[in-house]
Order: sequence, then structure tokens, then C-alpha cells
Amino acid sequence: MKSTRTTHRLAACVAVASVALVAGCSTSGSSSSSSASAGSGKGTISIWAHSGQPGENAALEAAVAGFNKSHPTIHANLRLISADTYTTTVTNTPKSQLPDVLEMDGPTVGAFAYNAKLAPLKQFVSASVVSNATAGAIAEGTSNNTLYALPMYDSALGLYANKKMLDAAGVKYPTSTADAWTPAEFLKALQVLAKANKSGKSLDIDESSLNQEWGTYGFSPVIQSAGGNLIQNGKATGVLNSAASIKAMTEFASWKPYVDPNADGNAFQDGRVALSWSGHWEYPVYSKAIGASNLLDLPLPNFGTGSKTGAGSWTWGIGAATKDGSAAGQFLDYLLDDQNVTAMTNADGAPPATKTAFAADKLYQPGGGLALWGQNLQHTCPASAITSTCVAIYRPVTAGYPTITSNFATALAAIFNGADPKTALTNAAKAIDQNFSDNNGYQQ
Amino acid sequence: MSTHAATRTGKKARDYVLMTAAAIVMFAPIYYLLIGSLKPSNKVLNGFAGFIPTDLSFHNYSAVFSALDSGATGYFGQFFINSFLISLVIVLGGLLVNSMAGYAFARLDWRGRDKLFLVVVLLSIVPFESVAVPLMQLMSSYRDSLIGQMLPFIVNPFSVYLFYTFFLDIPKSMEEAARLDGLGPVGTFFRIIVPNSKPAFATVAILTFLTSWGQFLWPSLMTSNPAVRPLPLEIGVFSAQTPPNWGQIFAFGTLLVLPVLVMFLVFQRWFVQSVAGSAIKG
Amino acid sequence: MTTLMTADGNPRSTKRRSQRRPDTWAGIGMSFPALLGLVLFIAIPFVYAIIFSLQNIQVSQAHPAKFWGLTEYVRLFTNPIDSGPFLRAMLNNFVFAAVVIPVQTGLALALAVLLNRKLKGVKIYRTFFFMPVVFPMALVAVIWRLILDRSSQGLLNSALNAVTFGHVQPHDWLGSSSTALASVILLSIWQGVGFQMIIVLAGLQEIPQERYEAASLDRAGAWQQFIHITVPGIRNTLIFVVLLTTILSFRVYDQVYILINTAGANQNATQTMLFQATNAVFNENDLGQASAISVILFVIVVIITVVQRAVLRQRNES
Repeated sequence: MKSTRTTHRLAACVAVASVALVAGCSTSGSSSSSSASAGSGKGTISIWAHSGQPGENAALEAAVAGFNKSHPTIHANLRLISADTYTTTVTNTPKSQLPDVLEMDGPTVGAFAYNAKLAPLKQFVSASVVSNATAGAIAEGTSNNTLYALPMYDSALGLYANKKMLDAAGVKYPTSTADAWTPAEFLKALQVLAKANKSGKSLDIDESSLNQEWGTYGFSPVIQSAGGNLIQNGKATGVLNSAASIKAMTEFASWKPYVDPNADGNAFQDGRVALSWSGHWEYPVYSKAIGASNLLDLPLPNFGTGSKTGAGSWTWGIGAATKDGSAAGQFLDYLLDDQNVTAMTNADGAPPATKTAFAADKLYQPGGGLALWGQNLQHTCPASAITSTCVAIYRPVTAGYPTITSNFATALAAIFNGADPKTALTNAAKAIDQNFSDNNGYQQ
Repeated sequence: MSTHAATRTGKKARDYVLMTAAAIVMFAPIYYLLIGSLKPSNKVLNGFAGFIPTDLSFHNYSAVFSALDSGATGYFGQFFINSFLISLVIVLGGLLVNSMAGYAFARLDWRGRDKLFLVVVLLSIVPFESVAVPLMQLMSSYRDSLIGQMLPFIVNPFSVYLFYTFFLDIPKSMEEAARLDGLGPVGTFFRIIVPNSKPAFATVAILTFLTSWGQFLWPSLMTSNPAVRPLPLEIGVFSAQTPPNWGQIFAFGTLLVLPVLVMFLVFQRWFVQSVAGSAIKG
Repeated sequence: MTTLMTADGNPRSTKRRSQRRPDTWAGIGMSFPALLGLVLFIAIPFVYAIIFSLQNIQVSQAHPAKFWGLTEYVRLFTNPIDSGPFLRAMLNNFVFAAVVIPVQTGLALALAVLLNRKLKGVKIYRTFFFMPVVFPMALVAVIWRLILDRSSQGLLNSALNAVTFGHVQPHDWLGSSSTALASVILLSIWQGVGFQMIIVLAGLQEIPQERYEAASLDRAGAWQQFIHITVPGIRNTLIFVVLLTTILSFRVYDQVYILINTAGANQNATQTMLFQATNAVFNENDLGQASAISVILFVIVVIITVVQRAVLRQRNES
């Protein structure tokens, strides 16, 4: 039935177009209820994932091969889609053509759930897998009180430091999150370190990706630490462009003279900078380049209400139109077991997103290379409920997230390139608010 | 006489200097791409030293091939063949369909011709990016297929226009002789006009190939299956890595442009004459 | 026969080779496949774009879209949230066109004049001048992104530093609002000039050599020959080149997309209307606004084309 209808859709649309009917072809393919069915628990399931680092791809391919070996009645078919087009591809694929299992970037869960592209997860995934997921993982995958996604790993964000260079320049550094640099101390450290280095630079922030998701993930904690936020109670004006947010972004812009453009991605490894504002994914590279004992993980600066940091990463859900929900659930059960999670996080240095694997991960436990960031991940909260004790903040779960991140990241990049922070943030806040009001606040 | 010769030699020397300077400017970025593709990643962005051929190896090329070498990622050869097939069908289909239309508009006398031609000219102004999303929705049953990547690009109003301008200048006598021999318009077109319009066909073929080979937006909307994806999309596999692997990005870029570059060098003479020959009449 | 002609109401029929319109069926038949394709793949989707532009609609939304008339258009021109970036993008498009059209055409003419000499090795030079044309614009942007890198390791910064013995400090070519658009223009011209050069060169070769010989006898200098013989001789070619470049200038997208999204180029200073449209739909799912921008872009190019043609026709007649 369905396939016959889609086959003739082009012809049908050609016909309606002459009468200039409204949007008929755009929305006819989707409805708001999930049509997922459990199926027989056998057969072929399709899986989409983004093509990440070579090590991540290898770990995922190995997990799929392991699944196929241990589940002879199911065949899992993996597709790796290049990361820069991944979200576009999923967004533009009608739900009937989405795979049984799909990976997605954490903050896109809200939009995909809102647009009925995902099946509620609990009907297909084992209760033990759900209960073993970290609190943050559940928060990130939950939209409108329904769990839609679970991740293999979380993320950790902070400052990497080259201990020898800091010591040589006589720069004192924080050893706990409570003790994080103030903006003034941070700026001073940047200046001293830049002066001590023949490169004249001291910081890497991956500046060429500021207007991408990296910008929102990496630098919304700056305004959140200052007491602002991306959005609060469905409104950006007043929080995104609060006086505290503007002040924090002004400070951010003042770092530019000390920032290495780092187009080659080697600034920290080559000793051109002593500090790198980055995430767990650099740990394997950095620790190898400058030695694990020389690599420090520092908290991000405290802009007023305590040091805050980002969290959340790629996560896994089940397509709303799957005919093999049971098999898809079995695959996720397998993928999210400790062995596969650990193999993956060993490849990319990410913090595991299951309780047992996280507890067993030496890197994030006391004494480990990223112990301080691991500590931070014990204190998480969603962006909608930031408390003074929480450190790691998940990005807002809302179908309006694409607008939020696009406007914030654009403003961030503009501010870094010299735009007035107040104007840029106010315009971004107004644009976000307009979009939310156009869409009735993205209420279900 | 001798002073005349001297100024002529001087002028010649000046022309060579100018041309060499221009050639260096035009070739430098290409040279940078080629040399960079043979260097270790961290030596590509390296000031002027990035220009000096040191540490050369084919390591980046083998890395590109091995990164695209499994069922999940797809195979380099498969992407290449997909791109080639898509471009080939677009070029050949486009030559037939657009030339016939160009001929009908330029040489045939029929009702509604001028109005319809105006429509063609207007539609040539619509950028593809503007219609991509609605078209994607209309063609949702052609997702993840090769044909869905070919169909929208076979007809090209700009190609119709190029053929039109070329055919306008064909001497009437050629056609009239054919008609007297009893050939209809269709017969005249295929037996007389086509064989005498090689430059126009070559121009359109090459220009169409250039644009369809580099397609990015449409396949990123319409495909997820590596079995049908074209080559350009895969640059994301290398540019999304941390740290950015410039050596591999440049190697991929070189591999991407190589077929077009070779085609250009081989058919250069024909190409240059034909681009010029048909465009000039506009 | 005569009735057919009058039924047409088109006096041009009489000037043509026949007394009626004999090719009607062949004309319709031969143009049909192309017209069908144009309707299916451009006209209908564009009609949809127009319809979407009148709606409050997002990409792949599950609930029905709401019709809201000209709201998107009004916002793009009067609501500062939308009109700020949009009018700036429009300005960028116009500046791009205003610079690229004369500069690229001028350079193409200069290169073509150089190549038009009967010198040895001229074909090798022609190959070099034309080579960038075969490079996809996205790849061009990737290469130039490294050339223009703001660090001292960027090729351009490093070269300027060396040439001036260290007097010129590294400049943020793509990030600075004063040089970002100029940088985009530079790499666009680099990629496109060879194509125009070939067209102009062909025009030059059509000019009869005798005209130059006659001028030489009249003791006309090189510059005078250029002004009085060369330029009028390739007038039509230049017109074609200008028309084509104008349309392409308003379609600038690939290089801007790559430079803004992967090289941190100054978005305000470099974004074009087409960039904004794709950004709206692919980053913010805002199909309505993207469609409205596309429609406005189309109208602008139509107006420019019509004006250009009218001006040229007037000049032709005078």
C-alpha cells in the first residue's frame, strides 16, 4: 500500500501543483504517532551512524560484526555516513525511509522526536540497559517525558594544559573545579604564556568551527557560568543577552590575540600553545604527543556562578517506522553492553555513558588522566535546570534546538571576529524567540 | 629596421614575462594541492615551506583508499563509478534533449515558440539550491537511487540556450538542401545539423560534466546508501577528523579532480575551440 | 494557408521562409522532452517554493503548515531580526557582482590579448590559465582556506612577510570584516577567469587581421588599435560574458559555504542570499524563510537581466 502511494507521489504532486495546493506533498508522508512494530525479532535491520574518527568507525564495525555473529537470526547492516552531511541526511529523509536503528547528535533528539522520526525506546530496549544508563544519558535522550535515545558515550569538555610549559612560565593553575580561574586570572595566564612562547600564542579553541555545533557545545558553558543561558522557560531574550552573558562574551572576545588559529590542528601537540579549550576526543592525540604525565585536565574558567562545562554526544535511537523493533532493541542491548562501550571509548577517549563502564574507566576515575573532568560529569544537569552545584550541562532538549544553536554559534563566531557582543547576542536572542513564537514554543 | 626588430623582441620578452607571471599565479594553488597531497598532514600548512617538495610520499593516497574500503563506509571505486555513471547519463541525456530543444527554438517555425523560449530563459535563472528542498519532497520515491541523482539535471536551460545560439548561425542553405531532399525537421536535425555541430556538443558535454562531477548538495539530501553515493560527499570523511588531516583532504581533492583534469588535458584543443566557438555567438 | 497565418496573428511568419508555420508538430515534439523536464524539475518545485514562502513551515514537520501570506517577505525587508542579515547578504551579492564583473572581464581580456599574439608556447600558457576552471568550487575554497589562513603559517601571510622582509604582519584575511569579501572575490576570480578568457580569445580571433594592418598603416598606436579595433570587434562577446557573469554572481554559494563553515570566515561580511537560504533550511529547518529568500533572489536576477538587455538593445539601436 504504502510503497504504491510513494511511487506515485511525484505524479500526484505534479497534478496537484497545477491547482497550487498547499504543502500537500511535504507533509503527507508523516504523521505524529509512531508506527513502529516489534516484528519477529529476526531478519535484517539497517543501522545508520556518522563516520567519525577511524578508531570509532573500526570499533563500531567490530561491534556490528560481533552482533551478527552472536545473533544468527538477525543480520545488522551498518551504513557510515560522512559526519558533515549526517544530520542533513537524517532530517531530510522521510520517516518511512529511515533505518531501524540510527545514531544522532544528542541535541537533535528533541527535533527528531517532535517530528515523529523516532520510536519510544523502552518498548524495545531491555530495562537493565535503561537502568544502567547514566543520569545525563537519560536526560539527553528524553523528550516530552519519553525516552527516545541512549548513548554509548558522553563527552567531557575543559582546558587541556601542558604542565611543563605552565611551570616554566610560572603560571599557577587550578587543581579542582571549585578552584577554577576567574576570567581575569585566565586572561593573565594567557598573556604570560603567550609571552613565554616564541609562537606568541597560548590558547587553542578550534576557532574555525566556532559557528558549528562546536561553538554551542564548547562556549554556551561560558554564558551559563556567568549566570546566563541559551534559553530559559522558552525564551532567549533576557538570558542569552543578559548583562552577565554580554560581559562573559566580551571576555571571550578579548582572548583572540592569544589564540592560535590552528588550522593544522597541531597547535597544542607542537607546543605552539600551552592551553587547549577542547574535549575528550583530543585526549588520545594529546597524551601521545606531549606525554600523559605532562598533560593536565583543567576546569573551564568560572565566569561568576561556578565553572560550568558541556556534556552530551552522539546517541542511538530506533526509527519510528521500523518493522523490526524487537531486533533493533536487541542490537542496542548488545551495542550498549560494557564490552562494546569500552571498546568504543578506548578508541576515542570518551567517558562511557553506562554506569558500570564509567565506574570501570580508569581515565575518568581518581588518578586517571581526565579525573577532574570525570568528577565534573558526576554533577550534571539539563540546561533547563541549572543549579549552583552542577557543572556539566546538557544542551536544551527542544525541537527548536536547531534555531538556538545556529543563532548562538553564528553570534559567537561574529563576536570572535570583532562584532559587538551586545548587538550580536540580542539579535540572536530575538531571532530564537521569534522562531519559538512562530512554532508555538514547540509544544507537542 | 634593426630598431624595429629590437622593439619587437622587447615586446615579446615583456609578453613572456607577463604570461609567465600570470601562469605562476594561476598554477600556484594547484601546485599547492598536489604537493600537499604528498606531504605528511602537519607539513601542509607550514608557511612557505608548504610549497617546497620535501617528505613526499603516497601515504595520504593509500590512507584515502583504505578509509573507504568496507561495506559500511563504501568503497572508493564504487563512489567513483557512481559519480561517473551519474555524470555520463546526465551528459549524454542532456546532449540529446537540450540540443533538440535548442534546434526547435532556433530553427523551426512553430506556434508558441517565442513565448516558450522566454520561459526557458527565465527558468535558467532559478538556482538549483532554491528548488532543492521542494524537489526532494516531490522525488521522495527516488531516494537512494542513481536515477534520482540523474533525472533533475538532464534538462538544463543553460544548455538549451547554448545550443540555441549555436544553431542560429548555421547557414540556411545547409538545411534547405536537406529539406529539398525530402528530410523532415527531425531527419534534418539528426542527419545534417548534429554532424555539423560538433563544437557545440563538445562544449555542452564538457561544461555539463564539470558541474555534474562536483555535485554535493543534491546527493547529500537524497542519498544515504554508499552503493549509490557519488564521490564528492566523501570529503567529509577526511575533513571531519581531528586534527584535520590536510594531507588526506588534499589527496582526496586531487583524486576528485584528476578525471576532469585528465579529460581537460587530453581534449584541451577541441575543448578550447568549442567553448569559444559556441559561446561567442551569444 | 493564409488563414493559418492570420490565426497566428504573428507578422513574423511572413518574413520567414514559408507562408505558414510548417514545423508546429516537429517543434513541439522536439522541445517537449526538455520542456517536460523544466516543468517537472524546475518550474513545479519553484511553484512549491513560492507556496512555501507564504507559509509558516519547517522541514519535515509532522504537523500541518500554516498559511501566513507575505509575512516572511515583510520580515525580510522590515523586521530587523531578519532584514539585518538579509539586506547585508543582498548587499554582499551586489558588491560581489559590482567587483567581479569588471575585474574578471578585464583580466580575462588582458590574458586573452596576451594569448592572441603569435608567440611560441602560447598553448602551454593557455593551459595554465584555464586549468582552475576544471576545479570544483568547493575544492577551490578548501585550498584557498589554507592559503589565506590568518596564522603566520598561511601561504599568503608567509609570502607577504618574506617579500617585505618581515614588515607585513600576518593578517586575518577571512575573519576581518574589511578583507573577508575581498578574499572570496579573489578566489572566485582565480577559478572563473580562465573560462571567460577562452571566450574572449575566440572573439579576438574572429577579428580580421587586415583591420590591424590597415590601422598600422595609419600609424595608429597599440592602445588606439585596442580601443578602436579590438574592443568593438569583440563587443558581442563581451556582452555575453557580462550577462553570464551577472547571473553567476548572484548564485555565489559553494565557496561562501565552505569558508564560513570550515574556515571561520566572517559570516556577516561574506554571506550571500543563497547562503542564507540554505542556512535557513538546512541549519534551522526554516523552509518558509528559505523559500522567500529564493523567490526574492529570482526576482532580483530577472529584473537585472531585463534591465541589462534593455540597455544593451538601446545602445545597439543608437
